[in-house]
Amino acid sequence: MASRGFTHLAEATEAALIIAAQAKDQAAFGELVKRRQGWARALLRRMCQSHAEADDLAQEAFIKAWDRLRDLETPAAFPGWFRRIAVTTFLMAKRRQKAVFEEIDDASPIASEDSTPEAAAGAKLDLERALARLSDAERLCVTLNHGEGLSHSEIVEITGLPLGTVKSHVLRGTDKLRRLLDPDA
Amino acid sequence: MTDFDALLKRSFAEAPEPADDGFVVNVGHAVAKREAGLKVRSYMQYGAITIGAAAVSWGLYAIAGAFGQELMASVGLEVARAHAAVSTVPDAGAAAQGFIQSMGAGLTQILFVTAALAGGAVAYRATQD
Repeated sequence: MASRGFTHLAEATEAALIIAAQAKDQAAFGELVKRRQGWARALLRRMCQSHAEADDLAQEAFIKAWDRLRDLETPAAFPGWFRRIAVTTFLMAKRRQKAVFEEIDDASPIASEDSTPEAAAGAKLDLERALARLSDAERLCVTLNHGEGLSHSEIVEITGLPLGTVKSHVLRGTDKLRRLLDPDA
Repeated sequence: MTDFDALLKRSFAEAPEPADDGFVVNVGHAVAKREAGLKVRSYMQYGAITIGAAAVSWGLYAIAGAFGQELMASVGLEVARAHAAVSTVPDAGAAAQGFIQSMGAGLTQILFVTAALAGGAVAYRATQD
């Protein structure tokens, strides 16, 4: 990998790295991946059931980003732009697995024997474990809403789900998390 | 926003991010492999275009060899006929020449009047100021 114009990639700003990567500088893109991999993988790990699947999707998303980086108009828009790619990659993977996003699963196993107050108290420390108890759609919407700070309409835009469905998923997902993470609720 | 919503946002923000356990290297390898594949595909496309262009050129050369002389002779004949047809209509040329001459004669007067009007307008404007 050859880096054009950088003596120390680690000192370059993200904007400079993005501009260099747009000019197909693989080393600059590598540095960008290094800086953003934690956020991207954490985002996808919250959406997916398994870490291995999340990491595969994160890799796929970064490769798509490499291919489409020239479409990015301003470097400042990179986080939102990449988030959209990551979510689209996740949704496409779910479609390949024939997951149904529009339906709300009333039989979600929140009220199983594992959700005793003791178990819920333990889950307070483990957001990831609590998220795993939600349906795919609820997890996606809750993660984007509470984790990424997106509004309902922004989630509609990024996922293509109807607004009412997004609101339901966020509401129900948050309610389930409250019951799992906050035993006093 | 409820207390729980705030707690949830904080939990998301404080959740640890995964460490780079070879992920960056894997992405780097995948990107490099992809670029190499694209380069090979681009070379293959250039090769295919070159072969196609050579085949078309060879085909055109063969056609020109077979029918070229006959075609050129026909074209030359048609040009000669067209030239003959144009040269047998002298009246149209003469009429056009007369029109241009009369326009040239009148143009001097037109320019003179226009200049007089413009000069008068400028003088009038100067007196108003």
